Amino acid sequence: MTLNLSPGAARTAPPAPAKPPTAGRGRPSPIRIALLTLLFAVMTVPVYLLLVNSFKSQQDIQSSPFALPFARVSLEYLEAAIHSPQYNVLRSYGFTLLLVVAVDVLCILFAGPAAYVIARSLKRRTQILLLFFLAGTFIPSAALIVPLIHVLRAIGLGNTVTGLILHDVAMTLPVSIFLFVGFIRTVPRDIDHAAAIDGAGRLRTYWQVIFPLTRPAVITVLILNSIGIWNDFISPQILLSPGSGTYTVTTAIYAGISQYSTDMTKVFPNLLLAVAPVIIFFVYMQRHIISGLTVGALKG
Amino acid sequence: MLAPAVVVYTVMTVVPVIVALYLSLTDWNGFSSATFVGLENYARLFDDPDTTRAGLVTAIVAVFGAVGMLGLGLVYALQLKERSWSNSFFRTLAYYPHVISALILGFLWSAILGTNGAINATLRDLGIGPVGFLFDENLAVITLVGVIVWAGFGFNVVLFVAGLQTVPRELVEAAQIDGASRRQINRRIVIPMISPVVTVAMVLNLVGLIKVYDIVVSLTDGGPAGSTETIAYLILNRSFAGTDVGFATAQAVGLMVVSAALSVVVTALRNRQDRAAAS
Repeated sequence: MTLNLSPGAARTAPPAPAKPPTAGRGRPSPIRIALLTLLFAVMTVPVYLLLVNSFKSQQDIQSSPFALPFARVSLEYLEAAIHSPQYNVLRSYGFTLLLVVAVDVLCILFAGPAAYVIARSLKRRTQILLLFFLAGTFIPSAALIVPLIHVLRAIGLGNTVTGLILHDVAMTLPVSIFLFVGFIRTVPRDIDHAAAIDGAGRLRTYWQVIFPLTRPAVITVLILNSIGIWNDFISPQILLSPGSGTYTVTTAIYAGISQYSTDMTKVFPNLLLAVAPVIIFFVYMQRHIISGLTVGALKG
Repeated sequence: MLAPAVVVYTVMTVVPVIVALYLSLTDWNGFSSATFVGLENYARLFDDPDTTRAGLVTAIVAVFGAVGMLGLGLVYALQLKERSWSNSFFRTLAYYPHVISALILGFLWSAILGTNGAINATLRDLGIGPVGFLFDENLAVITLVGVIVWAGFGFNVVLFVAGLQTVPRELVEAAQIDGASRRQINRRIVIPMISPVVTVAMVLNLVGLIKVYDIVVSLTDGGPAGSTETIAYLILNRSFAGTDVGFATAQAVGLMVVSAALSVVVTALRNRQDRAAAS
């Protein structure tokens, strides 16, 4: 059984046969109604609570968490979170985005050419290299990061953003290379030969001819890595000490909540600020994101 | 062309693994010189009460979490498999927690389930509680599994829907003509046909859950009284924060071995599945 999930495939898939879900059976069954009502409630209630309680006082949050008292709703808590001098989630967007872009760019720069060489080589040695990279997917970050600190210190990158970026790149390389290799193998070799006859070197052939053809794989890798790095907590938390003053969204939230844990007028607005960009990105790109993450998990 | 990838990967992944293997055989405390102690740290893994408890919690979370995500994933995939606007909406609704950081989901649920949270406030109005979702040692583990399943079952739904959409319509229609009930069709045709996807999903769930960390930190912070500490939590928050680097790396190597073993299983299953598809 093969799953047809790549973003390109999803777009070009033939239109579904025009058969509504319950055709021929009349109304949806009571079981279906019950299941979907339950799903709706369980999935929306946490988001609803997050939204309404970001605009309420501590008293209102604790006495009537579900209510939305229009008369007393206030923007002051959200504003306070936006302007908070400490552990400011909004300000951490910038650094997190920088991290995401740096890791994305370096990952593509490193993984692309390496995958091209592996995909095109017939040598056994190069094939073993693919297994060498794949072994990396077996290693949980939580286990790797303890010894990694000592390695980073030894090469002078302890507690630096460079060290964090290089670690993140290394974490994203295995799956990225694997996805690229699979995709490049579907590109006919004749194209390489044509480029070679025109005088292009291997690196130039890759970037100017092959890379544009692997666009669906590039999009999948970018989505997979961006969401992974944006949401990552272990790496920035352990590799950047609190003293560095540099926070990603997750480490800022963590540092903040350990300070003001019981003050719900700070917890909710900060969580809202933390999830807002991801939710907006998801709503806009959901088809690409869902298929990208699924392909990444299944093939990675 | 290979060099940059190989160098970064080797320095950042391979070298730390070798360092971990070495440190786990020593009594290094992070400062003084390390003495070789052989397999002593590994023997301690099985004696240390915190480690064995965390191992048990990790196993409970992984098994019940994986089964829960799988079961709910299957139930909802069967409901939402047809292509329609409303089904697509419900699939997205089930899926969205998967793109949000587990750390943030944990904080959100801890705000909802805490003593003064929304659920207990409502129960209090009804004259019940407070229920110690996060403060009762046994209930906290159940809550942890519940939140993990809530966050992850949507991913299983999407996997299974993709699998279900490959089941040939003719096969189902033929069974309908033969008078099979919907339940019989699901049990005898649809589920057997997607069983390779179910197997892969099960192992993916397990591999993901044995390293669960973020959501533990934010939901319970390992509490109450350490009852929700997982192996990953122990490595990063207890052993590592202390000075017992040798022991912490032995725990890390143990986690790597279990994770690698499960990943080998998933690779083997996937290869078998690819061969089955090719034949």
